[in-house]
Amino acid sequence: MKVKDTISWIGFLLISVFVLFPLFWGIRTSFSPRYETSLIPSRLTLEHYQSLFVRPAFLLYFKNSLIVTLGAVALTLPLALLGAYALARFNFPGKQFGILLLVFPLLPLIAILVPLVSYMYKLGVYDSFMALILVNSVFNAPFALWMLRNFILNTPVEIEEAALLDGCSRIGALCRIALPLMLPGMIAVIVFVFITTWNNYLYAAALTSSMSVRVLPQALLSFIGTWGMYWEGLCAAGILTLIPPLVLFLFFQKWFIAGLFAQWSR
Amino acid sequence: MSSKKGGLYILWEYKLPYLFLLPSVILLIFFLAAPLVSGIYMSFQKISLRGISEFVGFRNYRLLLGEGRFRNNLLFSVLYVAGNVGLSVPLAYAAALLITGKLRGIQFFRAIFLIPFIVTPVVSAILFRSMVNPSFGPITALLEMITGKHYIILADSTLAMLTIIGHSFWRSFSFIMLFLAAGIATIPTELYEAGKVDGAGAWARFSHITFPLTKIHLTIVLLIITMWTLQDAETVYALTGGGPGYSTEVTAVRLFKDAFINFNLSYGATIGVFLLMMSAVFMVFYFKLMGGAEHY
Repeated sequence: MKVKDTISWIGFLLISVFVLFPLFWGIRTSFSPRYETSLIPSRLTLEHYQSLFVRPAFLLYFKNSLIVTLGAVALTLPLALLGAYALARFNFPGKQFGILLLVFPLLPLIAILVPLVSYMYKLGVYDSFMALILVNSVFNAPFALWMLRNFILNTPVEIEEAALLDGCSRIGALCRIALPLMLPGMIAVIVFVFITTWNNYLYAAALTSSMSVRVLPQALLSFIGTWGMYWEGLCAAGILTLIPPLVLFLFFQKWFIAGLFAQWSR
Repeated sequence: MSSKKGGLYILWEYKLPYLFLLPSVILLIFFLAAPLVSGIYMSFQKISLRGISEFVGFRNYRLLLGEGRFRNNLLFSVLYVAGNVGLSVPLAYAAALLITGKLRGIQFFRAIFLIPFIVTPVVSAILFRSMVNPSFGPITALLEMITGKHYIILADSTLAMLTIIGHSFWRSFSFIMLFLAAGIATIPTELYEAGKVDGAGAWARFSHITFPLTKIHLTIVLLIITMWTLQDAETVYALTGGGPGYSTEVTAVRLFKDAFINFNLSYGATIGVFLLMMSAVFMVFYFKLMGGAEHY
């Protein structure tokens, strides 16, 4: 057993190096003087971060990303809560179609982006936060709903039943008894929707055209166009973009990972 | 309870699950099912920028399939998927077998391992681009040290293809590993103990217990990774833009460029149908595999 443990530890360390090296490289480059070639830079500088913050545009894009992401979370969470509760706690004809929720996230959504853009145009929301919030919510809802359904299935139904017998209405039982028990699931859904929306480039690129609604991933790609190969600045912008999803993930990773893997292997 | 509240309450109670699911279903019909139908419809039309469209039958399909560039787009998609799946699934499976020991600290490492999965794709693409940049990228430096030649990695079509595969490998490896490790962890330890009692060696225990019982997890994760790689436009676009030339232009990138940069909506819709058909082929193939797993 001792030998096997040692091999496992070496494996852990190798995988960690593989996983973390690009991030280390990004952080290292963002603090290095320009054209620094050695892996450990001889001196560190904040100039690339400063050059980002003197541009008001970067803060605008950060704010835009935050608006779209929080909007999508706010819209997806109630959808997922209601749907997940129905799937987990009721028996009704048609319930078996719930399995479709696991198929939707696998479909190449890029394939329907062209007609979706013309829909948004006709709805008059093309090139607006509303379009991005809608699309991100709809495309994340199936996954979020299924994730939450599994959390609810794992909370005991007896407490709710007791509340119902005591004369609590369904809605009352949902709000006062079930909702607090669902908190870990809700957090997993919030983290999931936050990360996928924050990270998404494709929908924003398809559904918006003006600078005023541009989100961070779009901004990063446009920086490559305007800055050329200013890798230090690009890495600095990239690292700043990563901070919100990374912090959220590391903080709530236990529930997020539980939600992520329980739902596929069930 | 119901007698106290009357017949209306029973009806309410009966309809409640549908009512709860209604908002999601409406949104999915409106923003997923309906665009799917009109996308297929659009693929039979010629759409001008002014929004005037005419029915042209299979013309878009004929034109696209007649193009050497588009046939390459399809080929590169298959290469990209095969490269990523072929590299990441076997290695991740081996790693999953390795990490399923009862080690302390697995919680901590699991979070670290999953980081590539949650990193913004455009950001990881920029990090990889800077790692292969010709003036000071560490991967370029390593390659030059080994071969003694000078390289501009993203200007070489083979190396550019390897870069997009390597990047996807980095993003998906640990997700697959943790997914499979979760599957392996569900196998009851008694089976292994019984195997040991019967004198089965490590290989026999793997091929008779672990592999058959994780075949379903393997199939599901193959399906997930295949679908993600097939529809991945943004990381390839951010890494190479489909270049040099068209040598990394996978089908999804072609769709993105045609539809949202060149505004050729008919081509965009038609390539979308091609992507859906490719997904269907992969899904049927994997579901057949999964059916085989159940008969085991």
